[in-house]
Amino acid sequence: MSALRSYGIRSVRLAGCLFVLLIVAGCAGKTGRAGFNFDWNVFFQDLSPFSQGLLGAVYVTVVVSVLSQAIGVVLGIFAALGKMARFLPFRTIANLYIWIFRGTPVLVQLAFGFYGVGAAHLWGWDAFTLFGFKITGEIQAGIVILGINEGAYMAEIIRAGILAVDPGQTEAAKSLGMTYGQTMSRIVLPQAARVIIPPLGNEFNNMLKTTSLLFVLGVIETYNHYNIAQGQNFQPFEEFLGCALWYLLMTTIWGFVQARIERRFSRGTELSSGGGAGPRNKGFAERFMALKAPIEQ
Amino acid sequence: MTNVTHDLLGAIGGVPRPDVDVVVDARDVNKYFGRLHVLKDVCLQVRRQETVVIIGPSGSGKTTFIRCVNHLEKIQSGRIFVNGHLIGYRETADRRTLVEDKEKNIALQRQEIGMVFQRFNLFPHMTALENIIEAPIHVRGMAHDQAIGMGRALLERVGLAAKETVYPNQLSGGQQQRIAIARALAMRPALMLFDEPTSALDPEMIGEVLEVMKELAREGMTMIVVSHEMGFAREVANRVVMMDDGVVVEEGAPDQVFSSPTQERTKAFLSKIL
Repeated sequence: MSALRSYGIRSVRLAGCLFVLLIVAGCAGKTGRAGFNFDWNVFFQDLSPFSQGLLGAVYVTVVVSVLSQAIGVVLGIFAALGKMARFLPFRTIANLYIWIFRGTPVLVQLAFGFYGVGAAHLWGWDAFTLFGFKITGEIQAGIVILGINEGAYMAEIIRAGILAVDPGQTEAAKSLGMTYGQTMSRIVLPQAARVIIPPLGNEFNNMLKTTSLLFVLGVIETYNHYNIAQGQNFQPFEEFLGCALWYLLMTTIWGFVQARIERRFSRGTELSSGGGAGPRNKGFAERFMALKAPIEQ
Repeated sequence: MTNVTHDLLGAIGGVPRPDVDVVVDARDVNKYFGRLHVLKDVCLQVRRQETVVIIGPSGSGKTTFIRCVNHLEKIQSGRIFVNGHLIGYRETADRRTLVEDKEKNIALQRQEIGMVFQRFNLFPHMTALENIIEAPIHVRGMAHDQAIGMGRALLERVGLAAKETVYPNQLSGGQQQRIAIARALAMRPALMLFDEPTSALDPEMIGEVLEVMKELAREGMTMIVVSHEMGFAREVANRVVMMDDGVVVEEGAPDQVFSSPTQERTKAFLSKIL
């Protein structure tokens, strides 16, 4: 347990969630009103990673999430720098972008970006083949639109991270002859990352779940996979419960990864005076969780 | 690091001045923070291998002035030349007004001007050695191996060879400031600016930093030091400049300024701190 906790993961909570879900399912099977019987066979069959098409759908969810988040981070950096630029048009463009994409529902953005833009013949979203995989227009649109949407949210997070870096750092970098680009990429952003990464992790957690909206474009990702299944067997309770567990699995694994990344980026911020920044030194995530723990319990 | 005074800025724009021995030439510098007039027609020349210590009460503009020398602060009028090259600005064709120079050119000029800050400003995400070799590699384009060799030599020189892989927050203030000096020296600057380098230090650490600075002065580095360390000024400075209320009140050899100041304001200031 301590090994898990050192990664900042509340493993107890995870086990608890699974336990509660199974109890709910079990109770529903026994005491359900109007003669509802929980179908364990269908539940386990469709929960199994070997069930037809499931891993492909999960794969779509993960790949779309990663690519969209990557686009979001890149756009977020540009939008954050744009917002802080001295040059007025940059500020205007950045503010306009953030205003529009934070002010409209992502579902509308998806529908408009794919169906609307497609119908107006502005952009066709044509399928293409990459490394032998056929990338459909729906998936392209999904990745791009979710990425652009995410960028608007990342902009504020990244801006806050940059502002959290001591201005003396910029001055020191400048005094050594670094250009704006070098100062940002080598000095400011790596330090801002420490502040950015915890909320970024939350954003990615959100992204994993938001990709379920791609079902409106007809992309067969995790949610749509189960949606189709329940449409065929009329057992929404079993199917959507399975669907929820798969999302829970993905976000939980991400929780582990996130904690590791946070440790990596806490280099040089350890408060202890002895030794180097070895694995024995507490990372940001760990100290953060340690701070939070007494309040939660 | 023997040849610290080699000729620099050859390719950078600006009007070459006739006297090659003058490293810093500030002429009638005026600076405002909003309506506050912080530098009033400040003139100062620093010759090669000279150590100039600027003293004065807080708010007198001494820190602002040395920040203007590497264009961390803008000036509203006047000219600052370093090695004959106008810092931070281009003159318009009629030579009357100044236009801020391109960011790239300013960065190029700053490569030749080392700066040490009151609060060290080491990069906390890099080890001591990484702090030192960062700019030589990424700004000067120095080969990695060569930079590491030079970085180790500099660490040795400031007496911190053992701290190569240590992050700044595990070092004392005095050690951090010595690393910061090494980091500035790694760019082989023609001029070093020290902005109250010992003001943020515990008393027992001031000595080790001043020792490094004295060594540097003895080796012939051109330095401008803003400091309240009168002992250092007396021992090391070639010239002491007294500033008050944005004006250079008095300047001269340390003995003269400390023992027989000519200006009332200098006397008043020295009587308070000596």
